[in-house]
Amino acid sequence: MAQDRFTGVGLGLRRPHLELVARMDDHAVPFWETCPENVVGDGGRQHRLACAILDRDPVLTHGLTISVGGFDAWDEDYLRDLGEFLVRTETPWHSEHLCFTSVDSNCLHELLPLPFTREAVRHTITRARDLQARLPVPLLLENITYYADLGAAEMDEADFITAVLEGADVGWLLDVNNVYVNALNFGFDPKEWLSRMPLDRVAQLHIAGHKKFGDLTVDTHGAEVIDPVIDLMQWTLASLGRPVPVLLERDNHIPDFDILLAERLRLQQAYDTAMATMEVRHG
Amino acid sequence: MAETRTLHLQQAMASLVLDADEAALEADPGRVARRHGLSGADQRAFREQGEAMLTYRELARMSLIEPLETMFPVLKALLESEARWDPCVQAFLDARLLRSGHYRDIAPTFLSWLASTGWDQERWPFLLELAHAELLEVLVARFPDGDPIEGLHAEPSPGDLVVLEAATQIVSYRHAVHQVTEAAPVPEARPTHLLAFRNGEGEPRLMELTPATAALLVQAQSRPLGEAAAALHIPDLAPVLKLLNDLHRDGAIAGFQPST
Repeated sequence: MAQDRFTGVGLGLRRPHLELVARMDDHAVPFWETCPENVVGDGGRQHRLACAILDRDPVLTHGLTISVGGFDAWDEDYLRDLGEFLVRTETPWHSEHLCFTSVDSNCLHELLPLPFTREAVRHTITRARDLQARLPVPLLLENITYYADLGAAEMDEADFITAVLEGADVGWLLDVNNVYVNALNFGFDPKEWLSRMPLDRVAQLHIAGHKKFGDLTVDTHGAEVIDPVIDLMQWTLASLGRPVPVLLERDNHIPDFDILLAERLRLQQAYDTAMATMEVRHG
Repeated sequence: MAETRTLHLQQAMASLVLDADEAALEADPGRVARRHGLSGADQRAFREQGEAMLTYRELARMSLIEPLETMFPVLKALLESEARWDPCVQAFLDARLLRSGHYRDIAPTFLSWLASTGWDQERWPFLLELAHAELLEVLVARFPDGDPIEGLHAEPSPGDLVVLEAATQIVSYRHAVHQVTEAAPVPEARPTHLLAFRNGEGEPRLMELTPATAALLVQAQSRPLGEAAAALHIPDLAPVLKLLNDLHRDGAIAGFQPST
């Protein structure tokens, strides 16, 4: 079963670390996550190193710009290449963000929030189902950080996400840092929020650092994970009652690999503690 | 299209991110919603969450502009010297050309836009060459890997054609744009010929060529080496063959094949 291969805390595979990781076979990272947009169609030394690592180690794939909630036609050539890449990496699923990234064929390279409306739910369900039909592996959708409602909302974020996941019948990549950041910005209790959600659909977690800018907290992926977010990860794992892989995201201010490994180990220990507690409880 | 409101909200967000008139957006973030025909409630949502909406503008523009600043530092320094960088970037964003979902494609798309519009090239005739030279090594370094070319041999002879590696580029500029720096971004007006290629490790390399060597490398891809050398009045083929051997060993040339 895929879940057996993917437990513990993995890392995003990033260009500054490729040389080092390619030479290491004892890095102790249980799996890598890679963004196909950064690998498919690329070439040269860094590309070869990335491919060698992806062919050697367990991999999960995570897309950035397919614009699940958008209106632009799918890029058929890219979807074909993506499908081949997913098969090659043997990823058990492919995740995308529950957002839009392109408008009128113009890619904005930013995860932009969908309107929390019934119309947007219908539209996104149709798109997600269509995308799922074109992929060789199950699709997961990830909850994003958002800083404002896009237009007048007809429901809250939790109802929007639930409606899309249930309607499209897809899995959930639950980003606990995004829940925490949204809770800070919109003033709700993240655990209460999670208690309302369809946790049975969760296949993977993301965890990351964030930063406060004035009154707004932004999901930067550029700092260490803080203790309250680790606590939320442990709480979520306990609520799930089963092991799911956790991915530490670090995309900005990327530290040296040994520092990142140390942070991964800290999170792995928190993960193991949550698992041990769960085993005692289920006895 | 059935889901019009959702589309119009997304178009309004794109306008909020990309539109030029920042002062007007700051004064009334609801104006983009109004312009896209959205209801009073949607306009109000844009207006009442103005600060957060403008955060999206800041974040998205940072994502789009950062690769330009990273890839074209000398061009940026040149244009900033006369306050032309920001207008240039805004004009590029206004053109709405970013079709690709690959982040690495932003800088090449900008370069293509510079070429097609001739932006500020009356003021700086070397601008396009400068931008191209700044991106050249990256384009070569990341050129998509292909299958090896079959049927080539390693030792060149006068009757052979030269077959370059797919990533290799021979470029000719009217200015020495490969020697500029952020502190001195104006190049010397001097014909310059460069060979950009990946070495055996896949690392990009840049080599300055003489005009004759550049011409030979171009011509010998379509006519036999000996014939190309004669046409260029190169009397002695021995140093040419040695250079070609070296370029083959270094990774610029895939190999040689008989002319048929």
